[in-house]
Amino acid sequence: MPGLLSSPVCLTVIWFLSWSLRPSHAQIQTDEASGVQYAHLESNVTMACGKSQIRTPVVWHLNSSSVLPWHKVTSDGTLVLLYVDHSAQGNYSCHDDRGLLLHSVKLRLGHPPGLLSISCQVPNHTHVRCSWVESVKTFLPAKYSASFRGNGKEWRPCVVDVIRKHCDVDHPFFWTTIHTLRVTETNALGSETTSVRIRLNELLKPDPPESLLVETLEGYPKRLVVSWNIPSSWPLHDAFPLMFQIRYRPQGSIYWSEVYSEHSPVVIFDALAGHLHQFQIRVRDEVNSESQWSDWTPVFLIRPWEVSSTPESTEDRFADYFFPFNTKPETSTAKSHNSVHPEDEGNLGLVILLVLFSVVILTTVLSLIFVLWVRQRRRNHVTKQELTSMVKMKSMPI
Amino acid sequence: MKLLLDSSSSLLFSLLLAQLPVFTSASPVPQRRPTDMDKLSNQTKNLLKLTQELLREHAFDSDVEPHRFRSLPEMSNRSANDLNNLELKPTLSQLHADLKLYEHHFEWLNKVSKKHHHPALPKLVEMIREMKSLINLLHRQMLRVEAPRLTQVTPSLPPHLPYQFDVLQSSHELLQHFKLFCDWAYRAFISLKPKVSAVQ
Repeated sequence: MPGLLSSPVCLTVIWFLSWSLRPSHAQIQTDEASGVQYAHLESNVTMACGKSQIRTPVVWHLNSSSVLPWHKVTSDGTLVLLYVDHSAQGNYSCHDDRGLLLHSVKLRLGHPPGLLSISCQVPNHTHVRCSWVESVKTFLPAKYSASFRGNGKEWRPCVVDVIRKHCDVDHPFFWTTIHTLRVTETNALGSETTSVRIRLNELLKPDPPESLLVETLEGYPKRLVVSWNIPSSWPLHDAFPLMFQIRYRPQGSIYWSEVYSEHSPVVIFDALAGHLHQFQIRVRDEVNSESQWSDWTPVFLIRPWEVSSTPESTEDRFADYFFPFNTKPETSTAKSHNSVHPEDEGNLGLVILLVLFSVVILTTVLSLIFVLWVRQRRRNHVTKQELTSMVKMKSMPI
Repeated sequence: MKLLLDSSSSLLFSLLLAQLPVFTSASPVPQRRPTDMDKLSNQTKNLLKLTQELLREHAFDSDVEPHRFRSLPEMSNRSANDLNNLELKPTLSQLHADLKLYEHHFEWLNKVSKKHHHPALPKLVEMIREMKSLINLLHRQMLRVEAPRLTQVTPSLPPHLPYQFDVLQSSHELLQHFKLFCDWAYRAFISLKPKVSAVQ
């Protein structure tokens, strides 16, 4: 029997049973090594005066003061604090009748962890950051552990930053329908695990574009050139195209004009001459329309080029100017934008084609008239012949 | 005279025919002729759009996936890094095999949807047609770059679905998977475009 009891299997079973049968929310947890006792707020807290049984009466002090919160002391010198609140926290010490220190303990009060409110940010296809907020204020130091997995896959760690209360996963298996994040918060009074199920493709939200710059064009009082950089957190690869949305308006107007573009820079052709304009830009993954737009960048203020001596018709004077940028705004709302295409030289070909087309049409019409004329002439000729033969027949003696 | 008339009609017809290329090329901006890789990526994007529309129109609010389909192409181990290192021929072959597998699944879904008069049926038929067209185009591209055709895996499809709910759930699961597949495939096609130009 002793052999059986000391066997590793038996010891493991005993340890497991003792672990699993312990109360889930121990009211009081004492950390012997650090001399800190943790207890639930709004409960009764019992503090013994050391391990040995005390026969003589003892005196309890809180932070070296004999004034204690609502309490009672039992015959064996144990202090029972009743329905404790935050004011009951502090350093407790018990002394014998000669004032000799017998035992001291620090009391910390709080709550066990509750469920966490978790939200995840997906700034690109290679990184997920999930952060959380406690639903229950525990007032106690906590530890967190987090793990992350795709549907039907193994759990992998989500690297925790305890101070900022978030965790990071690099290179997730992005093209999985559902991912699960599990965060466990543990403090001296217990632990709680919160799980959330997320769809990365719907949470994808790039960081805003960077270095937004709007410049004037000398000699063009209605044009502005908008340029920017892609978010530095976005992978610079063909596989991850972006769609940018620029919005602008004269300061004071409530209506925004919008331009969509896949590339920087873009030329705005309909700025209001002489007015200060506000510009903002945001970005979204171009492929996945279910993903989210980034936040807007801060407002950029600019006034188009102007010179007091410039006549009103400056814009017309430069109307045939060929702008060197390749700008292809995809769509626009509220106002129209004439994008400049480098293929303008192709217009000559178009003109030639149109001339050829007109010649062909003209030939067709002329041929049609000719055919109708020939047909009509033939019909007249036949009718004439018929009439002649009839006259001849009539004149013949029967 | 009859001969003259006949020849005039023929001339007229020829002139009309001659106008066809003029009509077709009369575009305001001369455009670059799309390559087959452009067509592949465009059709994939179109399929992605159709899938998203179907999911939106027949929303089925469920985070619980029943895992009815055991033989869908493996997507859960693909990360963004994989897109950086794609090889042309194996990727085209794999995408072709994956699409064929999806085609089997969607044809099965079409069959069961018909039985249950699923409202998404017309769009589903359109999707299958688009899918077949994409498969043919991809196959043509594979022949051009001499990419091998992979052995087709026999799909393991769910048995009889007794209730409309099962059909809705299966449809949702399949579309969710296919949406991610299209997203991946589109990115793969646009990444491979420079590599195809290098081969041809």
